[in-house]
Amino acid sequence: MSRLNRVVLVVDDDPDICWVLERLVEGLNARCIRALDCQGALQAARLNRPALVLLDAKLPDMDGLELARQMRRADPGVPIMLISGYFYKDDPAVQSALDQKLICGFVEKPFSHAVILRAIEAALRSQEVAPGAVEPLPAR
Amino acid sequence: MWIYDLRTLAFLAVNNAAVQDYGYSREELLASTVGQLHLPADMPALLDAALMPPASLERKEEWRLVKRDGTVVYVEVVRSAVAFAGKSACLTIASDASERKKSEVLYRSLMDAIPSSVLLLDEDLRVVLANKNFLEKSRQTARQIIGKRLAEVFPEVIIAEMGLERQVRNVFRNNQATEGQRLTYRTPGVPIRIYYYSLVPVIWGVRVDHVLLLMDDVTEQMRMSEEIRQMERHLASVVESASDIVLSTDTKGNILTWNKAAQRTSGYSFEEVKGRSFFEYCDEAGVRKFFSPAASRENSGMSECNLKTKDGKRRSVSCVFSQMTNDAGQTAGFVIVGRDLTERRKFELQLQESQKLASLGVMARGIAHEIRTPLTIASSAAQFLTEKDLAPEFRRECAEKVHSGIRKASAIIENLLRFAHPTTNTTKMPVDLPSVVKGALSIVENQAKVQNIEVRRRLPPEPGRVLGVSGLLEQVFMNLFLNAMNAMPNGGTLDVSAERHGGDLLVRVTDTGEGISPEDLDRIFDPFYTKALPGKGTGLGLSICYSIVDQHQGSITVDSQRGKGSTFTVKLPLMSPAEEVKR
Repeated sequence: MSRLNRVVLVVDDDPDICWVLERLVEGLNARCIRALDCQGALQAARLNRPALVLLDAKLPDMDGLELARQMRRADPGVPIMLISGYFYKDDPAVQSALDQKLICGFVEKPFSHAVILRAIEAALRSQEVAPGAVEPLPAR
Repeated sequence: MWIYDLRTLAFLAVNNAAVQDYGYSREELLASTVGQLHLPADMPALLDAALMPPASLERKEEWRLVKRDGTVVYVEVVRSAVAFAGKSACLTIASDASERKKSEVLYRSLMDAIPSSVLLLDEDLRVVLANKNFLEKSRQTARQIIGKRLAEVFPEVIIAEMGLERQVRNVFRNNQATEGQRLTYRTPGVPIRIYYYSLVPVIWGVRVDHVLLLMDDVTEQMRMSEEIRQMERHLASVVESASDIVLSTDTKGNILTWNKAAQRTSGYSFEEVKGRSFFEYCDEAGVRKFFSPAASRENSGMSECNLKTKDGKRRSVSCVFSQMTNDAGQTAGFVIVGRDLTERRKFELQLQESQKLASLGVMARGIAHEIRTPLTIASSAAQFLTEKDLAPEFRRECAEKVHSGIRKASAIIENLLRFAHPTTNTTKMPVDLPSVVKGALSIVENQAKVQNIEVRRRLPPEPGRVLGVSGLLEQVFMNLFLNAMNAMPNGGTLDVSAERHGGDLLVRVTDTGEGISPEDLDRIFDPFYTKALPGKGTGLGLSICYSIVDQHQGSITVDSQRGKGSTFTVKLPLMSPAEEVKR
């Protein structure tokens, strides 16, 4: 897969957050697709088979972690990274999602670009090496 | 005049007067006995007396005789034994005494009918007459006291202490009545009685012949007035020692009484407020309405008012107004019982503050999420700006995002600060209720979003002003919204609407949550009653809502169906046009 063919799905109801993530993802030579809600996200994931999903925890029509579960059911191999201001680093809900391998990593908002870029790159790389085998990533 | 046979009692001779007076013919009388002229009831006494006449005409007797036509006459009789035609006989001279007797009976009846005790005393201070009332009260008979000296009738101690004999002698001497004086009659075996007595001279010709001792028994009145005095003292001390304010006014609101608690709370002594209008100390529409003649004549009403104190401050007092009515059922005045709410208000405020902070804790996550979003945008935009060779267009876009992100975060913080700010001024002011509802909604909307709750609002565009404390009312709606949102952990719809209903504004807060069970419905406004998990709710929110709404003369009700959701309705009185103008 050429690097430019890699698709990253950004799911966040705030267009400005999408704007930030899109800029960062495109800087990594990946293509960014935006979804502002869960329904849009499920549809985009089905159509585009993203290499990585960057997911907000709180969406207008569904909880982020619940969306992650539904995405996993549709595509068990897709890595999902939770990027949220709702949870904190050692949040039991986050730890539990990591333990269950529901998400491959968690980045707390607001984030340092260096940290989030490292996390995204690592997630994408792990996809190239061994699809489906994801390591939890450090938060920062 | 007639002569009768002492052996047979037969008439032996009758004069013309006897024939004229009694209606019988001479022949009829001479053919009968003296029994003919007597009532059958008097016969036994007659027989004894008739057979034993006195030797001379000296002794006067009194007889009742009956005429032929049945008329009974009283006669004064003198008799003497005589010999007549060789027989032992009795001469009887009778003179009509009916008029005198009638006067006597009338006099006696009058005496006995007098509700006072009456004694008639002669110059020797002997009792000539005692009326029935005196005999009954002193438990003596006429025979026991008639002819007795005053000193023998009254206990010695009374005679000596009162100088009664001296007083009676003075009346004989001076011919002047004495004014009423008190006499306590104590004698063994008779309950103590208290009399007011006066001495009245009875004049015969030019000199005082007798003295009337008139005694009014005032024992009962004395006892009752003493009881009334005691009751009055007791009532006064109850009112004075009450920790609540107790005061009374006339129908116009002028202060008549003012107890110690009123003095303590207001700083004004009774002397300072006596006769002044209560409105000088508490002039509020809610208070005035009880005094208005147009007000419906309910017997009592409650109101919270601010009492002006001597040091120029105002104290919050909860008052109960009751009408005093006279025997004719007309309003004679008002009684106001008030309780100083200062301490309670202070405690309530503390409780409200702590509950507010607790509700902020519940919202912490939503708040954090909402603030972090614009912070993230600002932070990222700033980081982009550090990159080299940026297109001028993108650079400007980044600067705008930094600015707008900070502005958004700042607005959220401002909302929170406004809510968390302690409500210190509890003076009621005109407040636009729909605006308060909107303000409260703006604070919880973040939380709604993170809980996947859709907020629907139907608020009237025109203002709906109530008299209240905006901070407290905002807290009511905040609590209701948070409560509704807590009932919808998996999302739902929060519907907030307001509408006018008569002179009230109704605000309904409806959720599509799990609903409340009937057994919980009864206790839902009780303090510390909660079904929330630890850390999710204090159980104080709804009880504080209740207390705040109550302070605003409003009401809060709940309607719920298991599995469908609940509706809380807050009803608050809108300011009347008159109040609006006044403000």
